[in-house]
Formats: sequence, structure tokens, C-alpha cells
Amino acid sequence: MPSAPPPEPSALSPQPLYACLYRPPSSDAAAVGTATLLAIAQEFSPRYERQRDDLVTVDVSGLTRLLGPAQTIGEELRREAVARGVRAHVAVAGTQTAAALIALARPGLTVIARGEEASALAPLPLGLLEKYEVRSQKSEEEALRTSDFVLRTSKKWGLRTLGDLASLPTADLVARFGRPARAWQAMARGEDRWPLVPMLEEERFEASLDLEWPISDLEPLSFVLTRLLEPLSTRLERRDRGVAVLHVLLRLVTRDTTARRLELPTPMRDVRALRTLALLDLEAHPAEAAIDRVTIVIDPTPGRVVQHTLYTRAQPTPEQLSTLLARLGALMGQDRFGVPVAVDTDRPGAFAMAPFATDHNDQRSRLRAEGASASLAEARGRCRAEAGTRGTRGEISLEDSAGSARSALNVVSALRRCRQPVPARVAVADGRPVRVTTDRRGFTGGAVTHCAGPWRTSGEWWTERKLEVRSQKLEVKGQSSLQTSNFKLQTSGAEGAGPWDRDEWDVSLSDGAVYRVFRDRDADRWFIDAIVD
Amino acid sequence: MALARADLESLLRARQLDRTLTTALPQIDPRDEHALAPCGISALDARLGGGFPRGQLSELVGPRSSGRTSLLLQMMAAATARGELVALVDALDMFDVESAAAAGVDLERLLWIRGHLVTNQGLCRELNQRAIEQAMRAFTLVLQAGNFGLVVFDVAEAPADAVRRLPFTTWLRLQRMVEGSQTACLLVGGEPMARSSAGLTLKFGSRNLETGMRFHGLLFDGLEVQTRIVRARAREQEEACVALSTSA
Repeated sequence: MPSAPPPEPSALSPQPLYACLYRPPSSDAAAVGTATLLAIAQEFSPRYERQRDDLVTVDVSGLTRLLGPAQTIGEELRREAVARGVRAHVAVAGTQTAAALIALARPGLTVIARGEEASALAPLPLGLLEKYEVRSQKSEEEALRTSDFVLRTSKKWGLRTLGDLASLPTADLVARFGRPARAWQAMARGEDRWPLVPMLEEERFEASLDLEWPISDLEPLSFVLTRLLEPLSTRLERRDRGVAVLHVLLRLVTRDTTARRLELPTPMRDVRALRTLALLDLEAHPAEAAIDRVTIVIDPTPGRVVQHTLYTRAQPTPEQLSTLLARLGALMGQDRFGVPVAVDTDRPGAFAMAPFATDHNDQRSRLRAEGASASLAEARGRCRAEAGTRGTRGEISLEDSAGSARSALNVVSALRRCRQPVPARVAVADGRPVRVTTDRRGFTGGAVTHCAGPWRTSGEWWTERKLEVRSQKLEVKGQSSLQTSNFKLQTSGAEGAGPWDRDEWDVSLSDGAVYRVFRDRDADRWFIDAIVD
Repeated sequence: MALARADLESLLRARQLDRTLTTALPQIDPRDEHALAPCGISALDARLGGGFPRGQLSELVGPRSSGRTSLLLQMMAAATARGELVALVDALDMFDVESAAAAGVDLERLLWIRGHLVTNQGLCRELNQRAIEQAMRAFTLVLQAGNFGLVVFDVAEAPADAVRRLPFTTWLRLQRMVEGSQTACLLVGGEPMARSSAGLTLKFGSRNLETGMRFHGLLFDGLEVQTRIVRARAREQEEACVALSTSA
């Protein structure tokens, strides 16, 4: 039994058909706004695009089954326009460009049969291209060049109509005017260079749930949040949107409303990440009573487009980092993590903190990765070179490693800062420290074997804090309180602002440790500021 | 007997318990550049076979002023230069930003988590122990987030007994968390802490009291540092020494 022939492609998907509505300038143009044209288009199809304030294109491809042939569709459009008080030009054609140009040129209703777009456009004046300034001319400069071409060059060349331009050899045209000439000729032939981009209404992303039984714990709330966020995330995905701000509105049994607002560092729509962030925020700011209604409102933003690469290492996603930072904030406190920032000051150990960025997929990291693979190859090559000479236990000569460190690598002697300097007792002979001891557990102290210094630093002596502190010191009774008040001024870091005046020494002790100690010249006291490690 | 042991090991492997009960860590393929994190010091990288292994706990241990922090900053600089993100859990809040900047660490790619250190504990002696445990929880969170190139847990100046009081299973759990990931995990302390969970341990020690530190007149010039590489759990027991030099 012979099988049925496969259906024609045209039977499966309707042939493209576009209608264009053009509102010519008139005295009532101000009264009839673009919204009216859009409302007419909306009556016929959800796929419509506003080309200009007075020009709207509608995709009417599927309406032939519903309304009839193109002529009927055009008549219906025109009737609807008249009913709304709009005197509009209506054109129906197989391409957007042809429909738009015809609508611009001819009043009333014009229907162009499929495949006859070029012949229908041919008698139209070339100046029509100047009126049809759509998005194909992306820049103003290009639009001006189009005008210039149409108005001046066409006269010189003897071109009068779109047909004249369409019949010119494309290669020669492009050779004289560049790539834009190809676009002009395509328009003159009624060909579409861009697909129709349907307009979308602003969508509100909001969901709420009334609870039969009020809840007061976070655990049941997490299920509610998931239930609300999942459909919202799906809708966001369909619209290619991410969450910029997440509003959590909790109506309490006391009829009060608790509102939390989470500004996300990067657009995201992952339900688990959003739920975790909301829960962590609510954990830090709990509701005062049980909750009987939960509402989620999302401020959307265009979705994030990420181009991954094969040549760089995967970084934590912004969702992962946002969740991590929220968890760290709940655990450590918001001021205990971030990016360290070197501060432009002479204050020893000064620094500041900045928020840690959540999006690190930048071009710079790719460039770095290329350089890093070169350094790995270098290390591996050296490894191979030494593999033949070393045994199971070997030692690189001091000169080799020290030379490489100094010349190429410059390994810096690092410090470990005592964020609050450790009070020390320092014996001085001939103006140099000879013994350092402390009462602090872990700092044994001992005789000084080597020392370097002193390096005198001072700053911000012009500020008022110094006088305040001196008076404060006089008022404080007891040694420990005196030290505490003094620490805050001498503490390294941006938090300890105020004047400082001290002599610094680098000392190595008999226990093998190297410290940076200083004498506070105001208080005439010694402290351990840092450990060289 | 040998057969019985092989059977037991295969059973453990089938249940993915082999790494916790035996000393075998997954072997590092030296040709896989994503399996190693070079520290940026070519002499040391050569000794390490290309760098520190990723997916394992490594340790930098040694006494005060032995050069641990200098090497740590060098590793962080190398990691950020590769475009990786680095997390530093600074349990006692002793990180020096100037030193890091001088070492070439890209600070924008460094997540610095500062522990709560209490200088005067008063009657509450457990505060700093709690600070270390809190830092350990932060360290776990960072490892769970994943995809950091280098994650450091720094308790170098913490009392040894405070670190020892962390449950032993902590290190096993961390090893399981980091295993198979692209993260180089580094513990910095006064003495080895992860014990059998550690993959690679670098033991630091100053060479000599007289020659281990360089002083030139009024200037402190740097440290002469000797490191010993110990691969505790590797299939091939290896121990090697590398001499390094730092400059102030």
C-alpha cells in the first residue's frame, strides 16, 4: 500500500505575509498617537513591531485561514483603523520592506501579490528611501549618507525610481559606495534584511501565596519560597530576563508587613540561589511574628550573556559567589570579608576593604591565562631538565635558587601584621634594642641578634585626634586601659585613623624570629607591630 | 592474605571509601596542566613536578619567620596572574595588604576573610578557639562554592593546641570536598595539621641563626629559607630540600 506523500513545507508553515500601517502627517496627528496604531496591530496579531511613531508592521502570516486572503486582511485592517478614527495607509505584501515602502507611498489599501514586490516598488520615486529610515540605517551618519546618495548622486546618475536602483549591478554599486549600497538596493527590491522583532508588553513578575496556617520558621518558609520562585524563574527564562532586585513581602498575623529588598550583584534566575539568598536575609532580619502571606516581586533586568571559552579555567558563577558572600556575611559579619585595597598613605599597615565582585569573566583573565600556561611550560621544562640529575633526595644550590629568586621572581619578605600591636618590653643599649620580651602568650622574646633601624615615620600630626587622645590618656587610670586607648591610634589599618609618630626597627631574636618593633615616641612605649615571615 | 587485602580494597573502591581508609591519593598526571598549580618559583616548581597538586590538601608548615608567608604570597600572586580567584581565610587576621601588593597579588581577585581575633580574652578563654572554628566553617563554605583556583586556611600564628582541638575528621572531610576539584587547597600552620589527609607538605626552617637572616647596616635584607618537601600519602615516598631566598 503506497504511503501518503509528505506534506509540502508551505502547508506546515504559512507563507510570510506582512501588513503595514502608516499614519500620514496631518492636523490630527498629535491627537492620534502611536498607541492607537499599536492597538490596531494588537487586534490582529501578537507579532507586531513599531518601526517609527507613524509606521507599524504587523505579521499577518497566519490570518489567511481566519480572515481570508490578503485583500480581506487589508480591508479588515483599514476598517479597524477607520473605526478608531485613524486615516491610515495600509499595505499588505510578502516582505516587511515592500509593505512599508508601499504604505509610505500610496494612500488607501494596497495589496501586493507574493513575488511581485520588486515590480510593485519599481515605479516608486527613489526619494522614498529617505523617508524609510528604519533600523537598517543604524547610525545617524549612515542615514545622512543615504540621503546624500539619494538626493545628489541619483540625479547625477540619472536614477529616478527604485526600479532604476534595483536594476544596477550589485558588485559595481558596492565598489563605488561600499557595503551600505547593498542595503539600499535590497530595500529598493523589497527584500528584508532584518527579521521582524515583535514588541513585548512589560510583564510584572509577582507571585504570592496565602497560607492556611501561619508559619514562623525558616524551614517551612523555604518550601513556600521555592514554590513561588519556580514559576517566576520559568517566566523570566522565557523573557530572557534575570532578577535585579528581589522583594520579599511578608504579611504577618499582626497585619503588619515586613518587606525585604535584595539587590543582586548580577542578574540571576536560579531558584536555589534566590531562595538561599532570601532565606539568609530573613535569617539575619527575622519577621516579628508568624507569616500568613508571602509575596515575591521581582524587578527584572536583561539576562546575562556569557561566552565561555575553552582556554580559561572555570570561575565560580555569580550565583555561587552571591550565595557564598551571603553565607559568609551571616557567619562572619558583613565587615569581615571582601577585597583588600591598598591605601595611598604612609601609615604602616593601612588598608581598606571593598566588596568582592561576583563577575570575574573578563577579557583580562583570559589574557592572564595565556601567560600562565607559558610559565607552567617553563617550570615543566626545568623539571624535565633536572629530572636526570637529581636522586630521591636532592638539594638545589643556594646560589641557583637565590639568583633566580632575585633576578626573575623577587620573592618578597612578607609581614604578618599584629592588627593590635603587642606591647613589649625592650631593653636598649647604645640607642639600639638588645632584648625584646612580652607578656603575650606565643611571643617568647629573647636577645636581639641583629637589628636594623631606626626608621622614623609620623603622620597626621595636624589632625585634632592627637590632642583628644592625650587628654584621654590622662584621664584613664590603670596600665591596661592606657595601652588600649593607645592601641587604637597605633593600630595598623584604615580603621585606626589618627596621628602616629614612631621609630621602627627590624630585629631578629635568639629564638629565630624576626619582628618589626616600634617605639611610640609620644607614649615612649614599645610594641611589636609585625612578624617577618 | 594479599588476595584478601586486594578484595577489601576493591570493595572500598566500589563504595568510594578507598581514599578515607587507605593512604592512596589519586595520582597526578604530570602532563595535565590543570592538575597542578605552579607557585611561581621555578626552582620549587621543578622540585614539585610542576606545582602544587589541585584537588588535594597541601600544607606550608614551619616556625615563625621561616618564610611561609612569603611563599604563600608568591603562590597567591601566581594564581591571580593566571586569572584564578583566590580565597584567603585569615583566621587570626594577620594578612598584610602591603606585602601582598608588593608580591604582585592582584587584590581584586582575592577574597579575604578575616577571623575575629580577641586580644584580651579576659575570663573567656575559648574565644579564639571559637574564632578558629568559625574560620574553619568559612573555609568549608568557600570550598563548597567551588571553582576557586587557590583556597588558603591560614592559622600560622595560632597556638598548636588550638589547631589540634579541631576534630580529626575535619581534615578528612575537607580532603573529600576538594578531591576531584580544580582547587589547590593550602593549609598554613606552625606544624602539620592535616596529617594523613594531607597530600603535599612543605616544611620550612631557617638555615642558621647567623646566616638565615640578612642584615646590611641599617637595612633588613631578607631571609634565607630552607624548605623540605614531604609527600606523606604519595605512592612514591619522596623527600627533597629546596633553598629559597627572600628580599625585603
